[in-house]
Amino acid sequence: MRWRGNARIITVFLLDFILCYLLTDKAVQFAASHETTMQIFEAFIWTFGDSNAILLTSLLLMILFADMPFITTATPFYLLRTTRRLWVMGQMVYTAIATMVFMMFTLLATVLLTMQNAFSGNRWSRTAAALAYSGEGKNLNLPSAVKAIEMSRPWQSMMAVFGLVLLYALVMVFVMLFFNIWKSQTMGIAAVVIFSGYGALLNPANIQKVFNLPDQLAYKARVWVGWLSPLNHATYYMHNFGYDKLPTLKQTALLGILLLILLLSGTVLAMRQYAFSFGGTEGK
Amino acid sequence: MRDVIRVIDVCKRFGDDEVLKHISFDFEEGGIYGIVGNNGSGKTVLMKCICGFLLPTSGEIMVNYKKIGKDVDFPDNTGVIIGTPGFLPNLTGQRNLELLASLQKKIDKSAVREAIRKVGLDPDMKKPVSKYSLGMRQRLGIAQALMENPSILILDEPFNGLDKHGVAQMHELLLSWKGNDKTILLSSHSQKDIDVLCDVVCEMDGGVMRCIRDTRIQSGRG
Repeated sequence: MRWRGNARIITVFLLDFILCYLLTDKAVQFAASHETTMQIFEAFIWTFGDSNAILLTSLLLMILFADMPFITTATPFYLLRTTRRLWVMGQMVYTAIATMVFMMFTLLATVLLTMQNAFSGNRWSRTAAALAYSGEGKNLNLPSAVKAIEMSRPWQSMMAVFGLVLLYALVMVFVMLFFNIWKSQTMGIAAVVIFSGYGALLNPANIQKVFNLPDQLAYKARVWVGWLSPLNHATYYMHNFGYDKLPTLKQTALLGILLLILLLSGTVLAMRQYAFSFGGTEGK
Repeated sequence: MRDVIRVIDVCKRFGDDEVLKHISFDFEEGGIYGIVGNNGSGKTVLMKCICGFLLPTSGEIMVNYKKIGKDVDFPDNTGVIIGTPGFLPNLTGQRNLELLASLQKKIDKSAVREAIRKVGLDPDMKKPVSKYSLGMRQRLGIAQALMENPSILILDEPFNGLDKHGVAQMHELLLSWKGNDKTILLSSHSQKDIDVLCDVVCEMDGGVMRCIRDTRIQSGRG
């Protein structure tokens, strides 16, 4: 797929920048109103520590990759000189790299949007402390959890949040690639919508509301949801920092990698039966 | 003559639509086979099945004694043009073909240059492929199919977009292959292409293929 001058790709990246602006604005405005500075990654950490932000950003990837696998009128010439397995592995490498580029752009966008009033040192800012300890974070719907602040530092937190969101995004795009190859592009999009919807609906507040659970049971539901929902696995504060039975970051990474191996193997198997259609999409 | 391509009772369905209906045919080494038929008669689908881009719903296809989809994904030693040839638009023709040649490393840059020259293009042309006319792309497509000196050529409407002179040049090029034990499968809407080039002509109609002319029998070779 050609990136330069591609309207769809430019639109997706623009939308991502606008989304980052809208999502980080709460934290930036809070810092401005309190006349405090921010650590340069804090906006990213608080924004993408929230499952809704992860969901919205990952859905942009669905638009970016809706037409996977990437086939042009040049494809038959390459296929004839390789194998189905090698070809689909090339698609996987491309998709993984493109997803990483997209996530790097997202991180960079949040940095750019906050850099006027930010420092790069590896310590939490007064803004972070105010958000976490005053309860303002909760009011503003920014997941600036005390436990995250106490257990880690900004650079490490940023890397953890980035890793979790990237892992979630990779699982999501490879779910789409698997269904695109196994069934069809329509089924690929349907699979991603179901995958995202499942994660979005399976959150502790919904479960408590639907089953009318008392607070003691709500905690258990929160732990179950933390394990069962892919979106909660991608959410930084929904992890065990030594306080509870939620998955640890390592357990999430292991589960994500296992899921990726399963999806990639399934895609290679499904590729054996894939029917190639070479539309006039040269130069896409 | 050995059968380089064997199509054995092949059916291909897309949902309820049966596009190929129990096709069986052996393509012998050294022959030029023309496949004619109306649009939608199944010519391209049959060629795609032989190339391994589509797998038959039932039946099997053997190319050089290897079953497509089982022993190999795509036939070995085969040059192909299916549909309008596409290339990486920002690169020159020479660079595009070099990239393709680098996948199997059967030929070097000079062989690529030679193939481009044979189809009447200039290998030193700096113009990117995006600026090529349809005819030039078609010539480049033929060059990529021929450049590794394959034993089988599968050409689906290879002369689309070529002017009279270009078609005559390509006829000459393909005829020069005759007698080299090369096998060519060619589909074309032009009766002249078929008459000039083909030893055997098969007609596809509604997913059924039948042989309508075999000059090898007439000349006593059959």
